Amino acid sequence: MIRYLARRLAQAAVIVAIVATITFALIHLAPGDPFSAVLDNPNVSESVRQTLRAQYGLDRPLPEQFARYASALVHGQLGWSFSNDRPVLEVLGSALPNTLLLMSVALVGSFALGILVALIQVARRGSVVDRTLGGITLLFFSMPDFWLATLAVLSLSYWLRLFQVGGTVDPVMYEYLGLGGRLLDRLKHLAPPAITLILLASATVARYQRAALLDVLPSDYIRTARLKGLTESQILRRHALRNALLPIITLIGLSFPALLTGAFFIEKIFAWPGMGYAVVTAIGSRDYPLVIGGVIIGSILVTLGSLIADLLYAWADPRLRGH
Amino acid sequence: MASLRYGRILCAAFVCGCVGAESSARSSGGTLAMSTGGDPDVLVPSLLQTATAGQVIDLVYDRLADIGDSLNVVGDRGFTPRLADRWTWAKDSLSIAFHLNPNARWHDGQPVRSNDVRFTIASTKDSTLGSPAASVITNIDSVSTPDSATAVFWFHARSPQQFYDATYQLPIMPEHVWKAIAPSSWRASEAAKHPIGSGQYRFVRWIPRAVVELSADTANYRGAPKLSRVIWSIAPDFNSALTRFLTGETDLFPQLRPENLREVAKHPELKTQSVRGLSYIFAQFNLRDPGNHDRPHPIFGNRELRRALTMATDRSALVRSVFDTLAVPALGPTLRAYATTDPNLQQIPFDLPRARAILDSLGWRVTTSDSMRTRNGKPLRFTLSVPNSNQARVQLAVLLQEQFRRAGVQMDIEKLDFPVLAERDRKRTIDATIGQWNTQPSPGAVLGSWGIAGSRAASGNNFGSYENPVFDANIDSALASFDLPTRKRYFSTAYNTIIQDAPAIWIAEPKQIVGYHGRLQLVALRPDAWWIHIPDWSIPRDKRIARDTLGGESSPAQPAGQKAP
Repeated sequence: MIRYLARRLAQAAVIVAIVATITFALIHLAPGDPFSAVLDNPNVSESVRQTLRAQYGLDRPLPEQFARYASALVHGQLGWSFSNDRPVLEVLGSALPNTLLLMSVALVGSFALGILVALIQVARRGSVVDRTLGGITLLFFSMPDFWLATLAVLSLSYWLRLFQVGGTVDPVMYEYLGLGGRLLDRLKHLAPPAITLILLASATVARYQRAALLDVLPSDYIRTARLKGLTESQILRRHALRNALLPIITLIGLSFPALLTGAFFIEKIFAWPGMGYAVVTAIGSRDYPLVIGGVIIGSILVTLGSLIADLLYAWADPRLRGH
Repeated sequence: MASLRYGRILCAAFVCGCVGAESSARSSGGTLAMSTGGDPDVLVPSLLQTATAGQVIDLVYDRLADIGDSLNVVGDRGFTPRLADRWTWAKDSLSIAFHLNPNARWHDGQPVRSNDVRFTIASTKDSTLGSPAASVITNIDSVSTPDSATAVFWFHARSPQQFYDATYQLPIMPEHVWKAIAPSSWRASEAAKHPIGSGQYRFVRWIPRAVVELSADTANYRGAPKLSRVIWSIAPDFNSALTRFLTGETDLFPQLRPENLREVAKHPELKTQSVRGLSYIFAQFNLRDPGNHDRPHPIFGNRELRRALTMATDRSALVRSVFDTLAVPALGPTLRAYATTDPNLQQIPFDLPRARAILDSLGWRVTTSDSMRTRNGKPLRFTLSVPNSNQARVQLAVLLQEQFRRAGVQMDIEKLDFPVLAERDRKRTIDATIGQWNTQPSPGAVLGSWGIAGSRAASGNNFGSYENPVFDANIDSALASFDLPTRKRYFSTAYNTIIQDAPAIWIAEPKQIVGYHGRLQLVALRPDAWWIHIPDWSIPRDKRIARDTLGGESSPAQPAGQKAP
């Protein structure tokens, strides 16, 4: 197992290095630079922009910039964010916990909801309930994330006034709230983006889980369970679900990148100060080191997600442990 | 869009007739929470680039004198004391001695001294800092300090705007905070994230991508501001920022769009105020061939053709369609807000038949089945580039396309990411673009954006490469004139020259729409900086809500550290 882990981690390091190189090349090939934003002021001369470029080493040849970046990366430094005037590690370090919180809530919530919906659908397969839930999951499955997020802002925060809009806490009141108040405030801010992500991701889970459950239902051990007199509910929960979970474990690994990229747009719309928000803003302002840093952290998370899924798979299915 | 704001000066209560004359020792309480679209870039007066940074800086720092609501830039008329409680002109006008208010203190308790003034100017001129403000204080030679309370500005030449240059462009910075830091490291320094100023508000905290908070400086030499706290609630998504305002999470949203007004009107507690801005929008033609800058542009190199395109443009309809009543057709590369602008400048009229006739006379005739013009087999066709992030400019491009089509001109629209458009603008590889200049109270920047120097310098801002010595000479003469009628006359001649040369179609002077909660009592919103009078805004006691009383009359509890909660 240790050799397996070491091999996977080495593969992950190679993947991250390739991703960093490609991202570096692509973003530097894109036209524009971090100091284009001052263009709308007629008093700002090109010489000022040149000074700024020189201060950040952007006037050096691209291979030299890459060599410097790679050297810093090897030493664990992700560079300096132009748009935040802080180290990239510091920017992402403050954003990453927010993204992980949102992602983990979304991951747990979407799998719980998705599996529950699938169980209901299979328990009443062929009925109106099954078809209705199937329609609803298909609707969310095909819905663009940014559109649902905008709808959630309008419905949950504006029309119904159930939650507050954006941020992790109320920037005005939070400092003056008690412990309970602070917790409630955090939940009220976490709920809208989390609900949006859960609705989007659970639709996929439900569809996968329903198909997996239907696959195992004709199995001999299910028939045996029926003959033993177990109820349909007991059969589904105790026998069918356990054996139909394997595809879902694969889905967990696949959900990491999906949730991460989905969260990029969700974070922007809900002003959730996570990695997505930071990176999307950085792309607009051509903050090269922050974009590359965000992509590297993202690729590490995705690789990690894939590794965790593989380990879970091996844990859940004894037949795979030898491989 | 980001814009530079250097010259914003806080207006003291006793100066403005519209605000209370008393200077209370304590603020009366209340919290102003504002929705804003982005973080400040950097909280250093000589380096800031974004509007949010400008707002924070203007409340935390003070200047030597305030330009006043008249926005006069000639001499010192209309300017009122701030850090300098009086000033003395030298007989030859080549120097001005500013006498500092002895009660002025930095927020860390140190007195404001003349060394601070000298340091501010010297550091801004330091090329290693890379201050965008350096180019607008070139007439200031140096600052001397005969004593700790007197700062003498020395100028290279006598100029009508030398007082404006000395006071409007830069707030004064504390030398004792910055002198130990190399200018090239200012942006990255901790001091840039925890500014210490002398204004009526103290910096409290900045949590990136979440909030910026200021609290009243109750011991300020100009008296305490009326509101105890000012908070910028940051939301990059426009709809989120708007929803925060509509739901009462924030009290003010300064970036309302015309299409939002109907929704705002459904909330009787919300009000709006439009502010005459200091920007103008134009469709600019590249007068040089994008492929070879030594040659004139094959289409726009011809003055008569540019005039024909202007004649084919119904600017009033464009403005009405996109901005409704929240903009007026632009007059030229100038603004109605300038005292030197004649609002009756002669325009090229909208006259479609005449535009068609001119195009015919130039050999561009309708020969194809789709009613488009060609000459020698080449179609009259070009590309207009617009930033895809700016909805108003995209809409203007679509309407312009239709108006040109009626004249037989085929215009393709190219929507570009802003940095891409900026790069191509600088390299002058575009045919035409819809641009916007955000200006200052002085009309002097027009030389950089439309003058010969701005065209010929590789680093110039005259991206369309328009050149006319008559225009430049008249602007030079206007800027050198001390007498308002003379100044106005020269400017009018210059503007008439460029309007008739038609290097651009002058489209609109947009207004800014500020939405605010009715419980706020505002005073006048100034065109260059709507926020400048915030220290004089108030919230009546009977209209206060939880966030007002929690702030109390004292400063709020200092949040623990700067970590995001």
